[in-house]
Amino acid sequence: MKNIIEFILRYSKWFVFTFYMVISCILLVSNNSYQQSVYLTSANSVTGGIYNVWSQVSGYFNLKSINESLQASNADLQNQVFNLKTQIAELKTHLSDTTVLESDKDRFDFISASVINNNTRHPRNYFTINRGKKHGVLPGMGVIDQNGVVGIVNVSGSNMSRVISLLNETQHFSVKIKGSSFIGSMVWKGGDATIGYVEEIPRHAKYSIGDTIVTSGYSTTFPEGIPVAVIMNRVRSQDDSFFTFKVRLTSDFKSLSSVRVIKDIYKSEIDSLATFDIVTQ
Amino acid sequence: MDKSYLTNMLLLIGLVLIQVLVCNHIMLFDVAMAFVFIYVIIRLPMNLSTNWLLTWGFISGFLVDLFSDTPGVNSMACTVLAMVKKPMLYAYIPKDDRTKDIIPSLSTLGFSIYGKYLFSMTLVYCILTFSLEYFNFADVKEIVIMSATSAVFTFLLLLSVDSLIVTRREKRL
Repeated sequence: MKNIIEFILRYSKWFVFTFYMVISCILLVSNNSYQQSVYLTSANSVTGGIYNVWSQVSGYFNLKSINESLQASNADLQNQVFNLKTQIAELKTHLSDTTVLESDKDRFDFISASVINNNTRHPRNYFTINRGKKHGVLPGMGVIDQNGVVGIVNVSGSNMSRVISLLNETQHFSVKIKGSSFIGSMVWKGGDATIGYVEEIPRHAKYSIGDTIVTSGYSTTFPEGIPVAVIMNRVRSQDDSFFTFKVRLTSDFKSLSSVRVIKDIYKSEIDSLATFDIVTQ
Repeated sequence: MDKSYLTNMLLLIGLVLIQVLVCNHIMLFDVAMAFVFIYVIIRLPMNLSTNWLLTWGFISGFLVDLFSDTPGVNSMACTVLAMVKKPMLYAYIPKDDRTKDIIPSLSTLGFSIYGKYLFSMTLVYCILTFSLEYFNFADVKEIVIMSATSAVFTFLLLLSVDSLIVTRREKRL
């Protein structure tokens, strides 16, 4: 017994070292339940609180560029509203006795939020927003800014949420070429924060350089047609039956500030349909 | 002893905040990053037991991990860094000085020894963090370039941090 205690005491540093290394390894191995806990992310109340205070100071730094891009987006929207109004007016004159079908216009709800911490330098980037469960933000919801898609909510605390950035090597997004139905998969491969790749577009797809890549709408995360990127050129793909495009992302990830979280009111219904077979079997 | 603990604790909190709020967002020439918070591990007195040293290392790494959403990466790198601290410094100083209670800094060790010690420590740390973060042999080139440049950048930054802290203490005396 004495020998054992002596042995432990003599080599205590190796025991302590191994202990800490094991904890680190548990944290490091991805997709475990510990990582999904709010307390171990930047969305917990202490880190979130510090980032919140800091962002009130640093939030002023990028105001000019953000203002410019908001103005551009505003002008674009005004244009669209005007065009749609004229279209509606035109249709009304033609079809005055037709009942309008209930559309998808109320399916998506937007929750505005501010980015309080953002990273672009890791292979797996996340950012933190100042909205949480209290405001209706739940894991799995899509996040966009005025220019396009920026990420998907990953963990939400009561007041803060952590979002998987589009700049995350492990996250794929379902996208398509605007105006067509060719579906592909959007992924970021590290390095430049403005460049991404769209894979698995079928070879018979028609495209031209400068085409916009938009969300496919085949999930409850994003509605159809939200811009993600613009095609720069085609690159060699591993699989000959598919195209791979190098694309320029529409959002500026280095100056993210105000974003909107998309809430799909049919989400639970669609998700329950997806698991229907599994449940009934 | 208590006072030095308190000073180191305040230093750790200050440097972790600087790391997560400022340095985490800096990327010089798109390759070099700065890790200022490891200065606490480098500076801890040599007579501190290895067990405590490892605890300091793990906690400081864990704090940075919490803030920057890189679970385990900095915790592990800092634990290893704390483990190699003593052998690293002892490799550079004469055998007679090893029993002395030293606080490693520019003023106690002189530039030639401290410079070698500091650079070895930053290089070890940078190689560890980037390897753990990328965790892929396909990215070896990236890991090597980023580790080397970040080590140089961090080394220069830590030299200035060190000289800042020393001058303040000298003024007080």
